[in-house]
Amino acid sequence: METQRRRVAEEMAISIQITAVLLLLITGGAAGRSADDLVAELKSLRSQSPSGVIHLDDRLVSSFLTSVGTPRPYSLLIFFDANQLRSKAELRLPHLHSEFSLLSASFAAHHKDDASSSRIFFCDVEFEESQQSFDLFGVSSVPHVRLVPASTRSLRDSIPMDQSEFSRGAESMAEFLESKTKISLGGAILRPPRVSLRQVLFLLAAILISAPFLIRRILDGDTLIHDQRLWMSLALFVYFFGVSGTMHNIIHNMPMVLPDRNNPDRLIFFYQGSGMQLGAEGFAIGFLYMVVGLVLAFVTHLLVRFRSISAQRGFMLVGMLLAYWAVSKVIYLDNWKTGYSIHSFRPKSWW
Amino acid sequence: MLQPLNLNRIHRWGLQSPPASHRLLPCLIQPSMADPSEAKGEGSLRKAFGGVLGVFILLLIGTLAFSIRLFSVIKYESVIHEFDPYFNYRVTQFLTKNGIYDFWNWFDDRTWYPLGRVIGGTVYPGLTLTAGSIWWLLNNLNIPLSVETVCVFTAPIFSANAAWATYLLTKAPPSHQFEVKGTGAGLTAAALLAMVPSYISRSVAGSYDNEAVAIFALIFTFYLYIKTLNTGSLFYATLNALSYFYMVCSWGGYTFIINLIPMHVLLCIVTGRYSSRLYIAYAPLVVLGTLLASLVPVVGFNAVMTSEHFASFLVKCQEVFIILHVVALVYYIKGILSPKMFKVAMTLVVTIGIAVCSAVLAILIALVASSPTKGWSGRSLSLLDPTYASKYIPIIASVSEHQPPTWPSYFMDINVLAFLVPAGIVACFLPLSDASSFVILYIATSVYFSGVMVRLMLVLAPAACIMSGIALSEAFDAFTRSIKFQLPKLFEASPSDAGDTNRGTQDEPTKVDNNTPTEKTETTAKERPSEKHRKKEKKKLEKGKEIKEKGKENTDKVSNKPLNAKKLLVLPLEASAVAILLLLILGAFYVVHCVWAAAEAYSAPSIVLTSHSHDGLHVFDDFREAYAWLKHNTDVDDKVASWWDYGYQTTAMANRTVIVDNNTWNNTHIATVGTAMSSPEKPAWDIFNSLDVKYVLVVFGGLVGYSSDDINKFLWMVRIGGGVFPHIREPDYLRDGQYRIDAHATPTMLNCLMYKLSYYRFVETDGKGFDRVRGTEIGKKHFRLTHFEEVFTTHHWMVRIYKLKSPKNRIRGKSKKKTNPKTTSKINSNKNVKKNPWQ
Repeated sequence: METQRRRVAEEMAISIQITAVLLLLITGGAAGRSADDLVAELKSLRSQSPSGVIHLDDRLVSSFLTSVGTPRPYSLLIFFDANQLRSKAELRLPHLHSEFSLLSASFAAHHKDDASSSRIFFCDVEFEESQQSFDLFGVSSVPHVRLVPASTRSLRDSIPMDQSEFSRGAESMAEFLESKTKISLGGAILRPPRVSLRQVLFLLAAILISAPFLIRRILDGDTLIHDQRLWMSLALFVYFFGVSGTMHNIIHNMPMVLPDRNNPDRLIFFYQGSGMQLGAEGFAIGFLYMVVGLVLAFVTHLLVRFRSISAQRGFMLVGMLLAYWAVSKVIYLDNWKTGYSIHSFRPKSWW
Repeated sequence: MLQPLNLNRIHRWGLQSPPASHRLLPCLIQPSMADPSEAKGEGSLRKAFGGVLGVFILLLIGTLAFSIRLFSVIKYESVIHEFDPYFNYRVTQFLTKNGIYDFWNWFDDRTWYPLGRVIGGTVYPGLTLTAGSIWWLLNNLNIPLSVETVCVFTAPIFSANAAWATYLLTKAPPSHQFEVKGTGAGLTAAALLAMVPSYISRSVAGSYDNEAVAIFALIFTFYLYIKTLNTGSLFYATLNALSYFYMVCSWGGYTFIINLIPMHVLLCIVTGRYSSRLYIAYAPLVVLGTLLASLVPVVGFNAVMTSEHFASFLVKCQEVFIILHVVALVYYIKGILSPKMFKVAMTLVVTIGIAVCSAVLAILIALVASSPTKGWSGRSLSLLDPTYASKYIPIIASVSEHQPPTWPSYFMDINVLAFLVPAGIVACFLPLSDASSFVILYIATSVYFSGVMVRLMLVLAPAACIMSGIALSEAFDAFTRSIKFQLPKLFEASPSDAGDTNRGTQDEPTKVDNNTPTEKTETTAKERPSEKHRKKEKKKLEKGKEIKEKGKENTDKVSNKPLNAKKLLVLPLEASAVAILLLLILGAFYVVHCVWAAAEAYSAPSIVLTSHSHDGLHVFDDFREAYAWLKHNTDVDDKVASWWDYGYQTTAMANRTVIVDNNTWNNTHIATVGTAMSSPEKPAWDIFNSLDVKYVLVVFGGLVGYSSDDINKFLWMVRIGGGVFPHIREPDYLRDGQYRIDAHATPTMLNCLMYKLSYYRFVETDGKGFDRVRGTEIGKKHFRLTHFEEVFTTHHWMVRIYKLKSPKNRIRGKSKKKTNPKTTSKINSNKNVKKNPWQ
């Protein structure tokens, strides 16, 4: 048994050696390849992807970067991606990657057949499959974008893109590219229109067809906008929207909940400190704000029309309990969140 | 067992006393038609009593609004607060001394030296003119109050006015069916507004700022608009335009009015509520109001034409204006033509109208679209698209007042009103009238805008008070009604007695019905709706007559449905009692919260500071000490340099010329001062000397722990200075991206003027140089000043004043040159600097 295991280990070691030799051969071969070959290979790789972003792995990194003598005939703009972190909303990896692809596609569209199309290539590297490359570049965090200029020898000397330079999306990446490589994008970023042509046509047709009916109903005074219930729910919704601080969440891009740092299984729903709030927190309090008013409106306007006294009594009991609970909850949470202690002012002789 | 008894009693009440139909259809019953069975003397007595009680309550509300704002005077003293009020105070002083014409043409050379500032054309004169008139009136009545006293108490006086205006506004909205709601809701809303924390924060005694007057103007303008809408009187329309003019004079927030009213008009037209009264309410306001507004220099006619922020206003107003005219024409033609003719004419008018409209619209859109921001200014864009500012305009996003509020802000600023508003919204829809739809629109827009910017909470507060007032009074109405009608049976009194009590209670609404002001709205309210509504009302009228007749017949069986429904609107007795108790507790909590907020949170004048510690109360009056020193120890024409925050106070209290002040209109000038503060001594001296500055004032909180001092604001000086003069670079002042002043601070930081002026001789206080605000020992403890000399430091070291040393002798400079080669290069470079010391 023991010997067998050792033999297997030896065999594995040998096979690893062989692959290493093979790899060396390949890379050596790559080094021997002419600049035109490399560019042609890159171009063919680029044509395989719809947006023109070349997917690199460790092998390709070494064949196009480490084993090529400087100056290389091309620069690479590399986006460092990590599949396992794509689900983290605050990193915005999918968004940034799509912006990066947009930049690549726009570049390709503006430089279809001219010389500069072979001077810069857009690539991405995935963390799990190419950890070595991440080490080579010294990249330890994502999102990360790096430009490898033609003359850079050590990959660690390549130019990282600043956080601020890719935060505004494809436009700011293009600015970075133009300032660092002196290759102009040759036009604006080509974003796909939000509504496609077909949708526009469809909408137009729908409006045209419905216009006569709508005008007729408006003249009759019998439309949705004449419905008071619609306006009432709209007004109530706007109020809910305002007092729950939704605008704060939209402007500051607040997440709904935060994971607890001390205990990863738990989620934080309420943030202590009055300058900030979480999404779920705002909606919860907005709901508490609303529920009291709605209960009061229900009691004063609807419940009074009920015929059964016991139903009235029951509803009122539930309503009052609900309202009392909501108000006390908000007061408690407000004191907890802001740290204020609201107290009354009484004459000292009262004690 | 309970139910039949209950019903019986109510039936009796309903039949015995005609006021039941009053409640249902008050518009039909003229005072002369009052039921003969009712004792006339008693009714009028009740009416008079109600009127007197109402006036008395209003007086109390005014007193409450005034006195809750006096905490700052009681806790501190009668003093103007903060920064901007000092400027307003100074302008008022000038006005009272030199008269209105000099004020209008005032060119102020005490500020923004050497540029100066045209005051007359750059301030909203409403507040100043108001306080000036009050002062003038009082002096003519031989009441010799100082200008400062008048200024301090202007805000509380106007809060009382605002409370009364709220009463008027809330009394107006309810439709003709529920005018009981009118007075009751009005009084409740006024009481709520008198102490709403959001408004208190801007109008405590001493907070002499535009908003104090403007909120009153805002509410009063809305009241007059509603009044015009209800009466259709041109008199009120003119008053409305004048009130709008006062608002334009007072505050930049007038744009809210001129956007809200067209929106309401549009809404009315779209939902088929057009009437001639709507036309009268809107058209004169737009024409007269815009003409009057252009008389205010700061708004000006020029602004109407060029300012992008007005482009949106013009588009909206004119659009609505045109639509209104088209609709008016349609209704007019409809009135004079037969239905058949009308159909023909309608098609004609609609075609022409639409053609004209679209032509004008196209021109306007083209005009607006040609401007780069599509006719919207940054601030209004940030209101419509809230993420706009944070993306593109950091200067708007960076101001804390422009931050979007979180839910505790609402609880702090409108407190329990936040709970009551939804009920108010629902109440306003039952039934919907022109006036109540306006209030709904007001709350919806203001709550949205307050969600974008926390400072607009001030506009939300009156709307929230009105809504809560309506909600509370509706709720109290329902609960007290239930108690009133069911309580007597608990005592098992004889039926006749019970009948009497019931009648007595029922008289209450009648009393309010016949109040003169509500009467007016109610009679005119009948004309309000368009044809359709009128038809409905006719039907109701007929029904009402039926009811009345039946009531007179005194028959026992009541078959009429509406009457039946109305009478049954009661809730269980004990539950109602508990609900009233809960509502009272809620109200009591509101009062406690408001008093607490007024006393603890919003009354600090920030010119005098206090702190409580174990050994008692400490008062820090360093600011006034420093300004008084400047006033008494420097020459009248000396120039004082400080960061812009203290500009208004220096000119107002020390009467010395400043380089920059809180009216931050010239960024370059501010950047110059920022650059000087961030430079080493010598270049800073050069910059200040070139501006003729004699004294430099810095605010330092390190000794007592006053955290909003200049060292904490210093990074802004660096940023603003670096924005104009690129040799000031923010990273030079940061160690690894952190702002610190301890031993790890960068040499640039430790050598800049702000550091030196703040920490000069600081080590002598405790031997270690421990900064209480930053919580560290300072980096460089022992140093001497070469180009500045300390002339005054206040008691708690909060303000330090330095004098620029006179230029040194040339020979001394030369000898220095020989000894130290390093300084040689500096002096050499300074030679170039002398021409342009800021580069």
